[in-house]
Amino acid sequence: MRLQPNPEKCTGCQICEAFCSFKKERAVWPARSRISVLKWEKEGVYIPFTCQQCERPLCQEACPVGAIGRCEATGALEVDSRRCLGCKMCVTACPFGGMAYDPDRGQAIKCDLCGGDPECVRMCPFGALTFIREEKYAQVKRREAARKLAGLLDLVGR
Amino acid sequence: MFRYKGYTGKYLEVDLSTGSVEVLPIDEALAEAFLGGSGFGTNLLWRRVPAAVDPLSPDNLLIFATGPLNGTLMPNSGRMEMISKSPLTGIYGDSNTGGFLGPELKFAGFDMVVIRGKAPEPVYLWIEDGKAEIRSAKHLWGKDTVETEDALVEELHDPGVKVACIGPAGENLVRYACIQATSSRSFGRTGGGAVMGSKNLKAMAVRGFGAVRIADPDGFYRVAVRCHEGIKSNEIYPAVHRYGTPGIVSLMNVIGRFPTKNFQLGGYADADKINAEALRAGFFVKDIACFGCPVACDKIYRVNEGEYAGTTVRSFEYETINAFGANILNPKLDAILKASDICDRLGLDSITTGRCISFVMELLDRGILTRAGVDGLDLTWGNVEAAMELVRRIAYRQGVGTLLAEGVRRAAKEIGKGAADYAMDVKGQEIAAQDGRAQQSMGLAHVTSSRGADHLKAFPTIDETGYPTEARRRYGDAYLPDMADPRSTKYKGFLVKDGEDYAAVVDSTGTCKSGGNFVLAQIYWDDVAEAVRYATGMDIDVVGLKAAGERIVNLQRAYNAIHGISRKDDTLPKRFIVEPNYQATPEGAVCRLHEMLDDYYRLRGWDREGLPTAETLRRLGLEDTIPRLESELAGRPSRSP
Repeated sequence: MRLQPNPEKCTGCQICEAFCSFKKERAVWPARSRISVLKWEKEGVYIPFTCQQCERPLCQEACPVGAIGRCEATGALEVDSRRCLGCKMCVTACPFGGMAYDPDRGQAIKCDLCGGDPECVRMCPFGALTFIREEKYAQVKRREAARKLAGLLDLVGR
Repeated sequence: MFRYKGYTGKYLEVDLSTGSVEVLPIDEALAEAFLGGSGFGTNLLWRRVPAAVDPLSPDNLLIFATGPLNGTLMPNSGRMEMISKSPLTGIYGDSNTGGFLGPELKFAGFDMVVIRGKAPEPVYLWIEDGKAEIRSAKHLWGKDTVETEDALVEELHDPGVKVACIGPAGENLVRYACIQATSSRSFGRTGGGAVMGSKNLKAMAVRGFGAVRIADPDGFYRVAVRCHEGIKSNEIYPAVHRYGTPGIVSLMNVIGRFPTKNFQLGGYADADKINAEALRAGFFVKDIACFGCPVACDKIYRVNEGEYAGTTVRSFEYETINAFGANILNPKLDAILKASDICDRLGLDSITTGRCISFVMELLDRGILTRAGVDGLDLTWGNVEAAMELVRRIAYRQGVGTLLAEGVRRAAKEIGKGAADYAMDVKGQEIAAQDGRAQQSMGLAHVTSSRGADHLKAFPTIDETGYPTEARRRYGDAYLPDMADPRSTKYKGFLVKDGEDYAAVVDSTGTCKSGGNFVLAQIYWDDVAEAVRYATGMDIDVVGLKAAGERIVNLQRAYNAIHGISRKDDTLPKRFIVEPNYQATPEGAVCRLHEMLDDYYRLRGWDREGLPTAETLRRLGLEDTIPRLESELAGRPSRSP
């Protein structure tokens, strides 16, 4: 399964951030949200962004104590809080900022796909976030592209 | 330690004259009685800005205030208030902005910023995570609002910085200069931008990485999700999302409530050229939203061809379409987008600016002004290029712009020759794009609003189009059919009073009137009471919340009363009372204000002069206002016991 952002549909409302942080921290706290909406206001580009749950997780490779493991059910990489030293090597290693650090707990924090029912996906009003099987994703994109093409063909009267 | 969650419990007290910045605790009793937002601001003006204070003097306060629901899970919780004595009206003034500034201020650890004094040189206020400092803005003075925001984001090295700033209009003390918030959104009305300019305050920049904590997370989550789901399943949600406020252009034109030619007409022959469909078809780029909003009524629009190609505009609303469209008989939508952009950049309220232009156009038409008297500008109806030039002159106070920078009421006085008959204002603030002749409740709302002509203080939306769905959902069947009929005056005193009380609560707790609260009529007293209770831990129910709304409205009225406001000021321009609007009905309608005003006063517990009775003030816990009202109103018509 994959948490798939669709920047075209993102309105930049940050509902995902508010609800993510509320689920994880019991407070509205965008700075602690596991997902962030990155904005380029001038261009009107909004991209909801979080951990990519990499196939080859550099965070896991960098962790000196084996605190990062993959959940079988969801495929999410999770931080074992009993083992995490708070050394931040994973934060440094991740090329995307998918791993963050919580100075209050002294722990690395990241998206764990909410155990398979991501809160951000549930609350996003416009389907800018979908939780979808890997195999399906390309199909969905192809269908959308083909529909646009069909519209074009209509336009030129073929 | 502040008892209640939902708040940060702290505010900033800034004195620009001395350069002092203090972090102070919010008073719990104040939160219980006035909630936040405009309630806090009203209380502060009453206590600290006496009637003798000139709005543009250092003694006026400029207040930015959030509420306990700002920056939370509640839908459309991105809205905050600016409160100040208005340079345009000389009485209570406030304005509300959407976007992200309010939540950011709370994440930075503050519920409110109170600014007094005047800086010796241009400055900006930088607020970050529990701290604030005054910094030089000499390098920003003279810049427009977009340039100012860009410069600050660069200077502070953080694209997440939220900025409230003024443009040249605020610097030049145009009495209706707005404060732009994160470039596209505005604290539009009542001239807060001029207050900022008078204090030499160019901008306020805010960044916060903190949390908004909630008293009962589980309870609050349930209410918030219920409100989100309610909005998304509301019957008009798809249309409100798709078109935003421009969606009502066509609706209002049909019922003769689309002000045209400075209110000489109620409908515009070319409305279909400037309606939501034309806008979307020609200019739409992307849907965008304020913090926490599932409606996303906001859009990015871009002009792709013609002389205004490249103009990109956000937060482009019904009001601006009217002000620079039908109001001046201009059917060119690309030019309206350009005019909106000019107003945003120069920092002008587009509603008042538009009405100033139509006022001049009508005076030229009637020979009260001559072309020579307006710097030779060809301000004939429909000449939008001349109108844009006039907008620039207003912002820089050049030539005839100097006169119009004062607003229509002062300008009319200066001009004389009966010009006042064509000044479309109430209490000195220009009337927005509604018409009390076509929708009676709006006429009443315009005169009872505490900030001069305004539709958003009562925001009677449910009788706009004659559909009973929302009226039924809110008030049941008892008041139908009149409650949903725009031409009926029956129950409209009640509708306006309830709307004002509810809007006062919405503006004090920090959510949006264009979202679930009024336009969709989805969220109401019980939802807000629950949300406030769970968010804050305050012992408050619907009865207490309604009392808070009434308390805020009554204190605003008391504040206006010590500035000389009473029944004589609760009136519309002659045009609405005696000149028929034939687009509203074939036989022509006028606003029957007299059929509603006494009813409204009675429901409010005000006397015939429109002043709160001592009994009403006591009922609302405002008895400490009575001695001051008595002494300041001495010599005026006596008030009932």
